Amino acid sequence: MTNRIETLLGAHLSPCSITMPVRYTELSARPQAAISGNPFHQWVLPNGQLWTLFFRNQNGYLLRFPDLADFEIDLSGTDVIGLPALGIATATVEHLYLNQVLPLALSRQNRLVLHGSAVDIQGMGVAFLGESGRGKSTLAASFATTGKQFLTDDGLQLHWTSDGCRIVPSHPSVRLWADSEAALLTAGTERAPDVKFTSKARILAGRNVAFCNESRPLRRVFFLCSNNVSEVTIESVRPAEAVAEMVKHSFLLDTQARDLLAQHFDHLARLAEHPIFFWIDFPRRYCDLPIVRDAIIRHTTSTQYKTR
Amino acid sequence: MDIPSRLKIPPEVMSRHVGEETVLLNLASGTYFGLNLVGARVWQLLSAGESMPTICEIILTEFDVRAESLQNDVIRLLQALLEQGLVVAD
Repeated sequence: MTNRIETLLGAHLSPCSITMPVRYTELSARPQAAISGNPFHQWVLPNGQLWTLFFRNQNGYLLRFPDLADFEIDLSGTDVIGLPALGIATATVEHLYLNQVLPLALSRQNRLVLHGSAVDIQGMGVAFLGESGRGKSTLAASFATTGKQFLTDDGLQLHWTSDGCRIVPSHPSVRLWADSEAALLTAGTERAPDVKFTSKARILAGRNVAFCNESRPLRRVFFLCSNNVSEVTIESVRPAEAVAEMVKHSFLLDTQARDLLAQHFDHLARLAEHPIFFWIDFPRRYCDLPIVRDAIIRHTTSTQYKTR
Repeated sequence: MDIPSRLKIPPEVMSRHVGEETVLLNLASGTYFGLNLVGARVWQLLSAGESMPTICEIILTEFDVRAESLQNDVIRLLQALLEQGLVVAD
């Protein structure tokens, strides 16, 4: 066994923060052996490429990323073993683990995890949900490089407390395409090694990209639209629409586990009762980002929409 | 599409009341469906095992609608639910 890395999600958090342990162990690289039986689920990229196959095994689940890595997740979602394919660097496997596998493992722990980024605005958690390419990471990085802090780049983890729903910080890194990186970041910003399957850079939090390492109360969820508009528009979302949108953006490891799905549905319905959901659309020009940030800050801090 | 005289909700379909609407989710297919106030009442009556004629009769007493348009609306709704696998013939 090599590269035994025992990590805790949230190990970087302060003691009073919410933590949820996931033990991750990476084994040595090996050929991807054929798997008997059919996957019970699969993810396919927009270009038709098979991205992830979901199998059951005797201990829980096996996720296969063809030619990249396999991951074994136990039934409780607390133990994950990474198995790199031959020739695949640890950086690539770690990237897959943090961005794809860890959120899925957390969903098996009955955690509510959505595809989305989030930032801290004056102590309030503000989340951005949307399809790939809508600008979730760019928005988060934009705030994090201009005086605010980001809570997560993807894998938006929500946690219910007696005080309401809170956003739990995730890994302190942001993934950006080259054009966003060039537009937002200054020279010398620390980045993780490149990975095999994407040209997105993983930018590490630090002096230039500020990270919030404590949970924040969820106060806004913006669903990102992309209608080629010329100015920022923000409109409220009906509760039922909010549920439907969140279903689309949910991380779910086992789509056949009825009890878990029912609880997930309950989580979403409960959350959607809060008047914190909005559609947002804005011009996709980097030069307009200050206007977009300002509109989001004003909306979030507006007394007109106070939720508690 | 003909509407079967009796319909039932398959076990893989869940519903939750959210705001003034009801959201249906088919766990097997991932399909979800939003129902307004009247649609939610139809769903409630379907869940109770009521037939389509009975559902229409009850809705007529509870909402300010004309019988003809109500029947058309209910048929359209049930057709959509059947197509999405959210209800099946009993």
